[in-house]
Amino acid sequence: MTENGWSLKARNLTRVYHRGSEEIRALDGVSLSIRRGEFVSFMGSSGSGKTTLINLLGCLDNPTSGELELAGKSIFGAGKPLGERELTRVRREVFGYIFQNFYLIPTLTVQENVALPLAFYRKLGVQGEMEVERLLKLLGMEQRRDHLPGQISGGEMQRVAIARALVNRPEILLADEPTGNLDTKRAAEIGEVLQELNRSSGLTIVMVTHNPGLARLAGRQIEMRDGLAYES
Amino acid sequence: MNKMMARLVLLTQLCCLLAATPALAAVGCDLNNPERDVARLFPESTGYKTVYLSFARQGGAPLLKKVENLLGPQYLALYAPIDVPYTLYEVYRDKKKVGYVHGVNQKGQFGGIQVFMSLDLTGRIKSFYLQKITGRAASKFREAGFSRKFEGLTLKDFDSYDPVRGKGTGRIAQIPNPAPELETDFYGILRGLKKNLVLMEEFVYAPERGKP
Amino acid sequence: MITPFQIAYKNLLRKKVRSLLTLVGIMLSTWVLVSLFGFNRGYEAALNRDIDNMGYQLMVMAKGCPYEAATMMLQGGKGLRYMEQSMVNDILKEPGVAEVTPILMQAFFDPNKGESGGIAGFYGVDPASYPAMKPFLRFRKGGWFHDSAAAEVVMGYEAAELEQREVGDLTMVPEKNVPLKVVGILERTGSQDDGTIFVPLKTLQRISQTDQITTIGIKVKKDADMEKLENRLYQLKDVQVVSFSQVKQTVMKLISTARVMVFSIAIVALLIAMVGVVNTVLMSVLERRQEIGILKTMGAMPGDIFRLVWTETLILCTLGGVAGIGFALLFARVTDMLARRVLPYAPSGGLVAIDLRISLLALSIIVAVGLLSGLYPAWKAGSIRPLESIRGE
Repeated sequence: MTENGWSLKARNLTRVYHRGSEEIRALDGVSLSIRRGEFVSFMGSSGSGKTTLINLLGCLDNPTSGELELAGKSIFGAGKPLGERELTRVRREVFGYIFQNFYLIPTLTVQENVALPLAFYRKLGVQGEMEVERLLKLLGMEQRRDHLPGQISGGEMQRVAIARALVNRPEILLADEPTGNLDTKRAAEIGEVLQELNRSSGLTIVMVTHNPGLARLAGRQIEMRDGLAYES
Repeated sequence: MNKMMARLVLLTQLCCLLAATPALAAVGCDLNNPERDVARLFPESTGYKTVYLSFARQGGAPLLKKVENLLGPQYLALYAPIDVPYTLYEVYRDKKKVGYVHGVNQKGQFGGIQVFMSLDLTGRIKSFYLQKITGRAASKFREAGFSRKFEGLTLKDFDSYDPVRGKGTGRIAQIPNPAPELETDFYGILRGLKKNLVLMEEFVYAPERGKP
Repeated sequence: MITPFQIAYKNLLRKKVRSLLTLVGIMLSTWVLVSLFGFNRGYEAALNRDIDNMGYQLMVMAKGCPYEAATMMLQGGKGLRYMEQSMVNDILKEPGVAEVTPILMQAFFDPNKGESGGIAGFYGVDPASYPAMKPFLRFRKGGWFHDSAAAEVVMGYEAAELEQREVGDLTMVPEKNVPLKVVGILERTGSQDDGTIFVPLKTLQRISQTDQITTIGIKVKKDADMEKLENRLYQLKDVQVVSFSQVKQTVMKLISTARVMVFSIAIVALLIAMVGVVNTVLMSVLERRQEIGILKTMGAMPGDIFRLVWTETLILCTLGGVAGIGFALLFARVTDMLARRVLPYAPSGGLVAIDLRISLLALSIIVAVGLLSGLYPAWKAGSIRPLESIRGE
C-alpha cells in the first residue's frame, strides 16, 4: 500500500487453453503490481499473451490459476472461479473499457451512447447526468451530442467510447488496441487524450497496443513474450 | 316418440323455421324447374344458359322510361327498382343458340300471374306457358287450345291492339276469352304478353341488331 | 437519459421490415383470436334474439305433425295431424303458462301453380291472442283482421310481393275457391313469417270444414320452470312438445363443431406468429452478440440483458396485438360474412360482437404467449459472455 492509494496486484497469473488434445499456455505465471495513477502499456506480437493478460486484469475472464487483488481485496484466488454476475459487479465498480472497434450503438445518439451505462448502473446516483455533460465537454464532443455514430469520424467515435467508459468514474481504464482502427493522425490525437486524462485527473490506464509510438506515451512499458512479462 | 328423436326431427325443420325464406324475385320471374320446362318449351334444345339482365345494366333510367311509356301510362306493374334482375334463358342446340325463354309477373285478380314465352331468334312466339295463375276458372287459361292461339305472334301484332283499353284489330283482337268470368285476368294476360315482348325487344333483340 | 425500454424499441427500429413482418404475423393471429371470441359471444346472442322473435317459447302439436309451413309444403300438404281446440283450456291451467294461442295450418292444392300444380299453405290464427304474442310484427300497410271470422288475410312481405297483392286486393283459396280480402301486409321480418299467409282461425276452420287445430303456441312466464312444464305437457295425449331452448341447444352443438375448427385454426395461427417472434428476436440477439458483450462490460447484469430482450418481445406482441384488435373491429362485417359462409346455419343480425373485455382477453393471451416464447432468446442473450462475443470478430 502506497501513500497514494490502492494497487492492483497480480500473483502468478496463468491461463491455459485446451484445443483438442493440445495445451496452450497463453499466460505462464505473470506477477506484477499496478499503482493508482499509473499509465501502463503492454506491447508484444500476437500470441504473446498481452491480450490474455489484460483480459484477466480487467476481470473479463477467470485465470486457470494465480491471484488478483485490488486494494487488498481478493478478486481471483479464493479457489472458486467467479460467475458472470460477480465478475460484472467487480467490473462496473472498478473498470472502464475501450476497444479497437469502438462498439457504439448505431441507433443511439452520441449523448445517449455516453449515458448508456447509466441505464444499468449508477455509481454516482443522481449525479450521473452531470457526469455525462462533463465528459462530453472534456472530450470535445459537446457539439456532436445529437449525431449518430454513422455521422462522425473514427477518432470522434473513440472519444465517445472513452466518455462512455468513464461515466461511472471507474478506477482503471482498460484500453485494448484503442488506435487499431484509426489513421496516424487520429491515433496520435487519441494518444494525447489518454495522456491528458492520466495527467490531469489521475486516471489509471492499462493499455495494450502494438504501436510503439503509442506505447511510449505511457509512463511504464511492459513487453510480453510467450506468456511472460518483461519490464524494461 | 322419445324426446331425443323429436329434437332431431325438429332440428331439420328448424333450419327452415328460423332462416329467412329465399328472396322471391320482385318483378322478374324464374322457371320452377328450368331443366324440365325449357325442354318442354323447346323440344329441339340440348341445353340452356341462365342470364340476368336489368335496366341498370341495359340502358338505365331512360330505357325504363321508354318501356313504361310503351306499356301505357296507367301501368303500375313495373314498380320495381332499376337494378332488379330479370331472368332470361338462352336456349341452345349443341353450340348454337336457337331461341329464348322469358317470363314476367303480372298482377291478376286473385294472385300473381306468371307469363312465360319461348321465342325464336327473330322475336316470334313459339309457345306460351302460364306458370301460375289463381282463380276458380283459371285453368281455362292453361289449356292447350288457348296457348296455341299465341304461336307466331310478335311485338308488331301489338301495334294494332291496345291491351290496356282492350281494343284494336288484328290477330290479338281475334283471340276469344275462354273464361268470361275472369275478364280482368284475360286482359292482364295480354298485357303481360306485351310487357314480355317489349322487354325482350329492348333487352335482347334491339341490342343484337345494333351489333356489327 | 436513456432507459432500457428506449434501448429495446430503438433496437426494433434497426430492422424495420423485419419487425414489421413479425408485427403483421401477430396482428393476423390476434385478429383471428379476437374475432373468434367475438363470434362466440355474438352468435349465442343473435340466436336468442331470433328465438325471442318467435313470440312463444313452446309449441304443442299433434304427434307427427310438421310444425311449420315450409315442411308442410315439402310434404305435399299431407301429414297434418289435428288436435282438439279444447286442449287450449287444459294448457292454460298449467302453472308457468302465461298465454296460449291456437293455430291451424292447412294446405290446399292449386292445379294452376307450376306445371302440374302445387300446394298453397295457410296459417289460421286467433286475432285475439296471436298478435299479442308477436307485438313486434309491424305492418307495411293495413292491420290485423277486423273480426275473428272475417273473410280476410294478412300477408307476409314476400308472400304479398310474389302474388303482387296490395291491401284491398282479393286472393283465392285454391281447391275450395273461396275469395279473401287482403287487409294487411307485414314488414319484412327476416323470418318465415315473410312467406306466410295468415287467415282468421275461425275462417280457415270454416273453409276446411273442421273445428280442430294443429298447433298451440305457448308463452311461458318469466320465472317458469321450462323443463317441468315440458314434461307436464308431454303427459297430454298424443302430442309432441317443441321447445325452442332445446332447439337452440342443438343448434349450438352443431355450431360447436365449426367453432372447434376455427379455434384450432386460431391456435395454429398463434403458434406460427410466435415462432415468427422467436425467430426475429433470436436473430437480432445473435446479430448483436458483440454489442451485448459490450453492454456487459458497462455493468449490465445478465438479468438486465434478459429484461432488455424480453422487452423487445413485449413491444412486438403488444403492438401487434393492439393492431390486430383494431383490424378485427374494423373488419367485423367482413368476418361476419365469412362466418356466414362457413356455418350451416346463421341467425340474422350481427354475429361478431367484440367488446372491451374480449379485446383485453385476446391481448393478454397474445402477450402471455409472446413472453413465454421470448424466454429462450432472452435467456440466450443474458448468458452471452463479453469476452467470447467481443473476441469473436
